[in-house]
Amino acid sequence: MSTTVEIEPEPLLSPADVTAAEVDRVERALIDSSTRLPVLVFYTSAIAWLILSTLLSIVTALKLHAPDTLAEVPFLTWGRLSPAQFDILIYGWASMAGMGTAIWLMARLCRTTLRHPLLLISGAAFWNLGVLMGTVGILAGGSTGYEWLEYPGYAAVALFCAYLLIMTWGLIMFRFRRRGHVYITQWYLLGAFLWFPWLYAAAQLMLFVFPVQGVMQAAVNWWFANNLLFLWFGSIGLGTAYYMIPKVIGRPVHSYYLATLGFWTFALFSSWTGMQRLIDGPFPAWMVTASIAATILTLIPVATVGLNHHMTMRGFFPLLRYSPTLRFTVFGAISYTAFSFVGVMMSLRSMARLVHFTEVSVGYTYLGLYAFFTMVMFGSMYYIVPRLVGREWRYASLIKLHFWSATYGIGLMVLLLLVGGFAQGVSLNDPTLPFSESMDTIAPYLRGRSLSGLLLTISHFVFAFHFGLMLLGFGRTASVPTFLNPLEREPGGGH
Amino acid sequence: MTGHLPPNPQHQGMDYGETEALHESHAAIVREKVEPRMGREPLSLWLITIYGLAVFFGGAYLGRYGGNWSGDGLDYLGGAPRVASHAGAGGAAAEQTTELTPAQKGAKIFSANCATCHQANGLGVAGQYPPLAGSEIVIGGSRRPVMILLKGLQGPLTVKGQKFGSAVMQPWDKTLTDQKIADVLTYVRQEWGNTASPISAEGVAAMRKELASRAESWTEPDILAVPATEDAPGAAPAAPGGEAKPGASPAAPPKA
Repeated sequence: MSTTVEIEPEPLLSPADVTAAEVDRVERALIDSSTRLPVLVFYTSAIAWLILSTLLSIVTALKLHAPDTLAEVPFLTWGRLSPAQFDILIYGWASMAGMGTAIWLMARLCRTTLRHPLLLISGAAFWNLGVLMGTVGILAGGSTGYEWLEYPGYAAVALFCAYLLIMTWGLIMFRFRRRGHVYITQWYLLGAFLWFPWLYAAAQLMLFVFPVQGVMQAAVNWWFANNLLFLWFGSIGLGTAYYMIPKVIGRPVHSYYLATLGFWTFALFSSWTGMQRLIDGPFPAWMVTASIAATILTLIPVATVGLNHHMTMRGFFPLLRYSPTLRFTVFGAISYTAFSFVGVMMSLRSMARLVHFTEVSVGYTYLGLYAFFTMVMFGSMYYIVPRLVGREWRYASLIKLHFWSATYGIGLMVLLLLVGGFAQGVSLNDPTLPFSESMDTIAPYLRGRSLSGLLLTISHFVFAFHFGLMLLGFGRTASVPTFLNPLEREPGGGH
Repeated sequence: MTGHLPPNPQHQGMDYGETEALHESHAAIVREKVEPRMGREPLSLWLITIYGLAVFFGGAYLGRYGGNWSGDGLDYLGGAPRVASHAGAGGAAAEQTTELTPAQKGAKIFSANCATCHQANGLGVAGQYPPLAGSEIVIGGSRRPVMILLKGLQGPLTVKGQKFGSAVMQPWDKTLTDQKIADVLTYVRQEWGNTASPISAEGVAAMRKELASRAESWTEPDILAVPATEDAPGAAPAAPGGEAKPGASPAAPPKA
């Protein structure tokens, strides 16, 4: 079968083709330079929030080791610090990085220079304001108490307004795209642009404006949290991977039909998930069962996307040795598959009884948010930033350090949380054990998690430093990209 | 944030028309591969088969553990929904509607048709509408009440020693079925301290046939002409203690 794989030939250098290729390049150059300011604003903000979140997580880790630390300062108590840190991670870092990448991809794939940059700049400003107000609000004690929706009302309004500006921009860009086939990435990005306001507005309305009754609030909350992972981060991450993998290796995506099937089943099944987190709660059985069935069925889009990426990559895996973008993106894509399998395991009733009040759900969240989404975002930044600042990444060694500390960090963290959470669940279900003793089973795993946090902290600071060098113009001016390893032969990767 | 960008002459005053410097400043763009395209590899059959099986499994799972798709079904294995149950009604919700006793059904008919005049407490209105609670016509034999209900009543009347004027009771034989007449009379004869026997639909049907030719309403003398203890055909004799179970089948009236 491998002999039948067709590799799209490079544009030939005959006089006629040179002109067409030249036109394409000029067009790409114009588009890229038009995206420079908005995308860099989003990326810079995202990385600043990532560093802040990292700093706060050091404090929260410290408080787990020594609970008395800073205990007398009200705004540094665990109950405020922990949600503030995590919300910065999802709204400050992940969402802003995702939107930055989405903006760049949208402009490129619509093949039109970026219109109305002011929409994006003001959108970014409002978004930053929203995250800032929300963080201060939580630390001041104004948390709403709903998971991932802790930001007080005024911050939520700012976030939503910011989002409307960005979404409007996305729709305008799509409306004025150059005619031609709409690429897979655009499907996912458009989906994400439209799904996020639905999720966010529905959750806000049903929890705070017209609160639903009693236990149904928990249902709304879990539906939102689960689908923020699937429909928002999932769409952007998958869309990015669908662009970066074929782009770097220079080969078409394996199958359009697989992509279509994967996208529509993803859209259909994902929005039904969420209630599987409420197994054995006082909910009508059909709600929970429908979510479990939908979660099981998400294996269809996951397997489809995974198969499509794998077949696209076939024969090009050696490129992982050189290309930072490919390495981060493929790691993320594989993590997405792992994330979904863990999600299915957790959603089965027999398993959920064991693990759903344990650290397993934390591990699951980090598997999706970090091992999948954040790694894909790092990959896309390694591709996009050189095109925005006109320089190459300065040090291959820093990229390697970033990759390995991030990989070992998140790998260790997820492994410890999943295994530790399972052990915790077993002892929680043991009626002969006092509660405090059942808590002791998780302690060594959490100590190990601090080590993984240390690795992630290193990787974040290394990346932020490297990004800062690029921003300040200290990148290399070479015409070859910064590969992770010196080329032994022509890798065939266009990076 | 662009303020941090280096004062690079190539990036200052970007003019979309400039192409000269592009080869130098955008080496990355020059060397990069073509934009991604989509291959057209067909879906393999075994994949479609596996997905079909997955969808089938999902549907079966949903059907098996859907808890009857009821908003009250908290048990995913499909156990009985938890309903605030009526005493003695232990079955599923669907069976409960059929388990209303004749008196309970009669209560609904009474409040819809009779309570306007005779009042919900069965005491009527002094001087206008006679009471039903403790009325000698109601608690006597069942023939008189069935007669009145079928054909109506007009003219002055004396109930419990009180005179009532000229208010008219309409005939109900065109409006209510035999079963409904039986139910509402059973209710009236066993409510408000009344302890008379229930009335069966068969008895009402027999009376309806017997009185089919009569067009006008009864007057007091017509009623008094019927012995006070005479029952409608097929109706159970008045039980001394009034303990007859209202839920008993009309075909087999309880023997007291």
